[in-house]
Amino acid sequence: MKLFHESEGITRRQFFKGAGMLTVAAVISGVFAKFGFDVFAASDDYIAKRVAGLYTLDESMAIRKSHENPEIIQIYKDFLSPGKVECVSPKAHHLLHTKYGNDIPGFIAELKNPHLVHEAEPAANEETSTEEPAA
Amino acid sequence: MSTVLSDGVIHVSDDCKACDHCTFICPTGAISGVLGQKHHINPQKCINCGQCLINCPFNAIYDLSKVEELKKVLADSQKFVVVQEAPAVRVALGEEFGQAPGTNVKNKMYAALRKLGFDRVYDTEFTADLTIMEEGTELIHRVYGALGVAGFENVGPLPQFTSCCPAWIKYAEDNYPLVLPHISSAKSPQQMWGAVAKTYLAEKLNVNPANIFSVSVMPCTAKKYECERSEFIASGYQDVDLVITTRELAQMIKDAEIDFMGLADEEADRFVGLSTGAATIFGATGGVMEAALRTAYEILSGESLGKVEFDAVRGLDPVREATVEVPVKALGTSLPVSVCIVTGTKHVAEVIEDVLAGRSNYHFIEVMNCPGGCINGGGQPIRRDTY
Amino acid sequence: MSNVNGKVLKHGTQTRTMHWIHLLAFIILGLTGIGFYWDIGGIASIFGGEANASLVHRWAGVVFVVGPLLYVLLNFDRFSRFMDSISHFSKDDFAWLKVMGGYLPFIKVDEVPPQDKYNAGQKILGWLIIIGCLLIILTGFPMWLWRHSVPAVFLAFCYNVHFWTAIILILLVAGHFFLAAIHPKSRVEFSSMMLDGYIDAQISAHHNAKWFAELKESP
Ligand code: HEM
Ligand code: SF4
Ligand code: SF4
Ligand code: SF4
Repeated sequence: MKLFHESEGITRRQFFKGAGMLTVAAVISGVFAKFGFDVFAASDDYIAKRVAGLYTLDESMAIRKSHENPEIIQIYKDFLSPGKVECVSPKAHHLLHTKYGNDIPGFIAELKNPHLVHEAEPAANEETSTEEPAA
Repeated sequence: MSTVLSDGVIHVSDDCKACDHCTFICPTGAISGVLGQKHHINPQKCINCGQCLINCPFNAIYDLSKVEELKKVLADSQKFVVVQEAPAVRVALGEEFGQAPGTNVKNKMYAALRKLGFDRVYDTEFTADLTIMEEGTELIHRVYGALGVAGFENVGPLPQFTSCCPAWIKYAEDNYPLVLPHISSAKSPQQMWGAVAKTYLAEKLNVNPANIFSVSVMPCTAKKYECERSEFIASGYQDVDLVITTRELAQMIKDAEIDFMGLADEEADRFVGLSTGAATIFGATGGVMEAALRTAYEILSGESLGKVEFDAVRGLDPVREATVEVPVKALGTSLPVSVCIVTGTKHVAEVIEDVLAGRSNYHFIEVMNCPGGCINGGGQPIRRDTY
Repeated sequence: MSNVNGKVLKHGTQTRTMHWIHLLAFIILGLTGIGFYWDIGGIASIFGGEANASLVHRWAGVVFVVGPLLYVLLNFDRFSRFMDSISHFSKDDFAWLKVMGGYLPFIKVDEVPPQDKYNAGQKILGWLIIIGCLLIILTGFPMWLWRHSVPAVFLAFCYNVHFWTAIILILLVAGHFFLAAIHPKSRVEFSSMMLDGYIDAQISAHHNAKWFAELKESP
């Protein structure tokens, strides 16, 4: 019985086809990787843009410091520390401050029982009112 | 206990493709599952930050929503529905209506909220300013305490950490109880606003606080959890009744078929709605620090700041530090105030370890859970930019 | 040439080994992959649960890459001849495609145009498989190794490309299997790749006339 087989070895053309395919595969991988890196770079650009948006808005505001906000001055004078601007006043302490972790159950009990609240109100800080900013 | 407190705000749906991307995003290791296995969130460890939600490639993570409840409340004429919106919302909401990230749409946002039926529209930035007053004063007290000034013996240790981010607070409570005395006792702006709305505002407007329904629009999923924490009842009621996210607000505006970009600009209502640039930058990492420095500098020195920008605290690096020389009139000297800014809860452990070991010489440390600050919060529009 | 006796060695031992390895890996990959996509618990449990099925999938993926890669490096000459053959489309190939190789019952053909070692259909299949494998490999490995660090969009993109390429490849391979193992006209090819490597000379002379003309007789 006759057996037939292919001739061994490669021609120049065949070599370039083989090498060419490997190169093409490498190039495709490279393009894919490039795409990956571009997406990587672009994917969180929006963070910087939103931050920039806030800073731009800040620059456009007439008042740029918290203690100059007229409504802030008003809430202290009318409500939190009647007649003056005093931070951490008893009322401010009651409404605007909190406790964390294991202190919370006791804190809730204080809040629910107004008598306790008054006793727990810190007596300190009274002489330390923040200077009233020139409005 | 409400379901939000016991089960958490953030859940994985059945659409999970088991790609395992989220386990790396999560700062607390709350997500279990390996590649190929559907993932699951442990609500005990989870701090509700929603970073996994905005980063899930398959949108398989969702946050519990109360939008339906809110729609009912808005339709109820008995309720006096008031709303506050966080700084970060205004530079991202527009994205849902075709605007570029960072576009400021705050005046259209106020208008849209009125159209949706809110009785009064205010702004969280008001209480961001209030936070600066209270938290800044607390910091000054702690610095005086550390310097041995009489009358400030029991004011709490330095450094002081910020307290605006409820994800960070839960992280500290869960993992570092020893650091809690370092955290400012000032409530977050959202909770301050809730407390003054049902007291001060009720008084000013002469409405019964029991009828006030207090809503907040937040860039944040952790705020949904924060508002239901049982200690936030200083007004005698639950201070903030309901939180929706930027995404949910956008959806409500679309559902109501409001032509958002076509709305005429409006302003917030008075008493608790006026804001400043300092409050605006709260939404960016370093913003609370910068706002605090603007106020602390002027109050301590008695001088007016020429340039209000503190470029040293800006940027997007996860951990940044800066020292600002502040002349203190009362002491007759100048104090180098050393500050640190952390964005991304992943990076905070090291800073805390240093503080607990006494290796830290910072005065004030700002911590925001979300990389970049609240503008990248778990409630913000989800972006999938490729170019 | 209509009456030749004897046998032709069509695919050498290494080629056949590589083909087997690639096929087995492909079957495992396809099965587990389909199991992931449609969440078929039965498939996952064959491989020991979701997590293990995923591990099997990934390591089968390594075999799926390393098998052919080794083959190409060790048999660069064969690979080159293969690439040369499938990248050369002559008039006869287009003519073959026009009549679809006589495979379709409604296209009547008297004589199918003479073909190289691979007929025009096989050439196209060769290209599709190469491109498909590249895509599935280029997406599969990031899904595994860089799942934590690549952005969400890119990961989702990889999953989509991975899945659709898998579906197309599976359909192609199913068609390939049908023609090479079941269709009465061409199932004789089966043994040349899956078993001893030989095919009847008569058949080669008929199906791959141009190639057969170049073959040498063994001493
Ligand atoms: C060549 C190397 C390959 C690697 C490294 C690879 C890797 C992966 C990985 C990591 C996944 C993620 C799914 C999981 O574990 O839960 C996956 C999914 C999948 N793979 Fe592969 N894979 C490869 C080849 C293949 C092949 C050849 C096929 C099909 C014949 C295939 C079909 C699938 C399918 C259908 C999925 C599910 C996709 C989805 O859920 O959208 N994979 N592969
Ligand atoms: S990122 Fe989304 S899809 Fe991927 S494992 Fe996590 S929840 Fe599942
Ligand atoms: S919400 Fe935050 S803490 Fe909770 S699982 Fe997601 S990333 Fe982790
Ligand atoms: S950084 Fe802002 S958005 Fe993120 S969890 Fe904290 S408060 Fe919420």
